[in-house]
Amino acid sequence: MLKAEVALELGTLDLDVTIEAAAGEIVALLGPNGAGKTTFLRAVAGLVPLTRGRVALDEIVLEDIARDIHLPPERRPIGVVFQDYLLFPHLSALENVAFGLRARGFAAREARARAESWLDRLGVAEYAQARPRALSGGQAQRVALARALAIDPRLLLLDEPLAALDASARGDVRRDLKRHLASFAGIRIVITHDPLEAVALADRLVILERGRVVQTGSPTDVTQRPRSRYVADLVGVNLLRGTATAGQVAVSGGATLQSADGVDGEVFAVIHPRAVALHRARPEGSPRNVWRGRASALDFQGDRVRVGVEGEMPIIAEVTPAAVRELDLAEGGEVWVSVKATEITVYPA
Amino acid sequence: MRSERPPVLFAVLAAIGVAFFVLPLVGLLYRAPWETAIGDLTTPEALTALRLSFVVSLAATALALLLGVPLAWVYARVPFRGRDVVRALTTLPIVLPPVVGGVALLFAFGRRGLFGQVLDTMFGIRLPFTTAGAILAATFVAMPFLVLTVEAGLRSMDRRYEDAARTLGASRWLVFRRVTLPLIAPSVFAGAVLCWARALGEFGATITFAGNLPGTTQTLPLAVYIALETRPEVAITLSLVLLVVSLAILVAMRDRYLRAF
Repeated sequence: MLKAEVALELGTLDLDVTIEAAAGEIVALLGPNGAGKTTFLRAVAGLVPLTRGRVALDEIVLEDIARDIHLPPERRPIGVVFQDYLLFPHLSALENVAFGLRARGFAAREARARAESWLDRLGVAEYAQARPRALSGGQAQRVALARALAIDPRLLLLDEPLAALDASARGDVRRDLKRHLASFAGIRIVITHDPLEAVALADRLVILERGRVVQTGSPTDVTQRPRSRYVADLVGVNLLRGTATAGQVAVSGGATLQSADGVDGEVFAVIHPRAVALHRARPEGSPRNVWRGRASALDFQGDRVRVGVEGEMPIIAEVTPAAVRELDLAEGGEVWVSVKATEITVYPA
Repeated sequence: MRSERPPVLFAVLAAIGVAFFVLPLVGLLYRAPWETAIGDLTTPEALTALRLSFVVSLAATALALLLGVPLAWVYARVPFRGRDVVRALTTLPIVLPPVVGGVALLFAFGRRGLFGQVLDTMFGIRLPFTTAGAILAATFVAMPFLVLTVEAGLRSMDRRYEDAARTLGASRWLVFRRVTLPLIAPSVFAGAVLCWARALGEFGATITFAGNLPGTTQTLPLAVYIALETRPEVAITLSLVLLVVSLAILVAMRDRYLRAF
């Protein structure tokens, strides 16, 4: 089990997070660029000093500022797969994997044999003598993984493991990586800015924004109940914040929404763009929530169009290109918006 | 690279600029006594100067590597107070007239010098007018080239490779030996060659501090200077040797040289 309380200032970044991970868990640390993900990883690995905090892995205290404990990186039982993999360019794949074993005191012959078996296990034995520059992105990733795992770590940290790859190779390598991650028994923390990668690889997501943890939970939980604009945008839903009383949600902009969910107090309200209907005139009938706005941006995405509607309650609607023609929608044009009360998900903030 | 036709004025000035450097070489080549060149080069005096030059310049390069690589590392990695001033002090010999360097060495390490006295009385070491003194003078003027080149190499390398090595369990010394040094090897090599070339051509500091003793401190440039008075044709031949060696180094190093500065 890992318990990392990390607080430090680095340039404009003010990082203050506590992240726990249970034995055998795969955690994805998801956040925009500059949120402090890589700095957190480097701090846990011992490569950046903390100003406050404590990092403990099982019974080993790696760092405790209050007690002046700082284990240097080379003495931490942590394997790191760096962004761009950072395979030593002057060493062969085999020598790269054997490097950690040699550094940890294995004799040359033994280190070599173990490195060979690791390359074999990851399916890249045939590239043992190749220099890193001769490897494809996927092969380099496997060698980097072999190098990190060969030292028998208790914790494996992966920094943007797929970012260095072409989009075309990413799917295959991701499936591959998922399989290899599953075969490692320790704690795994994957850092990424790609929600698809996070959801595909991890049991649990930790969302990091501006140096703080803003949400943590299972992928389903986080994507269905986003608690920040960042996650809502990633998932592609409308996220509103307000105060609920008896099915009425007063949204921060001043408008009020009718909801079917019976939650009171400070809440988030999520509306999927598909649930937002657009009309030329004020609609008749059952929708509880109707308001007027102005189409501000039309974003054509194949068979769907995302329409941004400005007004007392800004919202994004998703309609078909046919609907855009029927409504005669143009940027700046007036439009009526309706949302059924049952399409609004409300949960405590 | 995009090629471009130069304006006429630039072409003319550039051509004059080239001529300024090439004409002296033409003069040298024109006066070269080709018939007697081999004979002049194989005289005992010339051979002695040649051998001494190689010994002194190689020893100076070795000493510069031993002291200069750690110094470059400190400059590149340790942000201590007054680093810029210290770096300027150790770079000074590049712009200082070598004879001034020689005088300074004399007053520091000469027999009456501040530290020379101590070396003499306590250890019986006398540097002036010895081969060791010539090596010291050459190191003094040549080492800054190595330090600057290696520091530039250290600053431009991706330090995350060192981080990766540490997480794999390597101590700082092992990281330096197995990762840093191989990665900056091109810079170390370039710096060593520049340093060696400068040491090979060293004249002013050597003659001031170490004197001009054939077989002990009379290196090739000193031999050229002396020969010019008595046997100009030998001076020309020896000059050509230095010229060919220097030109070969510069042509081989052109990319590295430009990148380092």
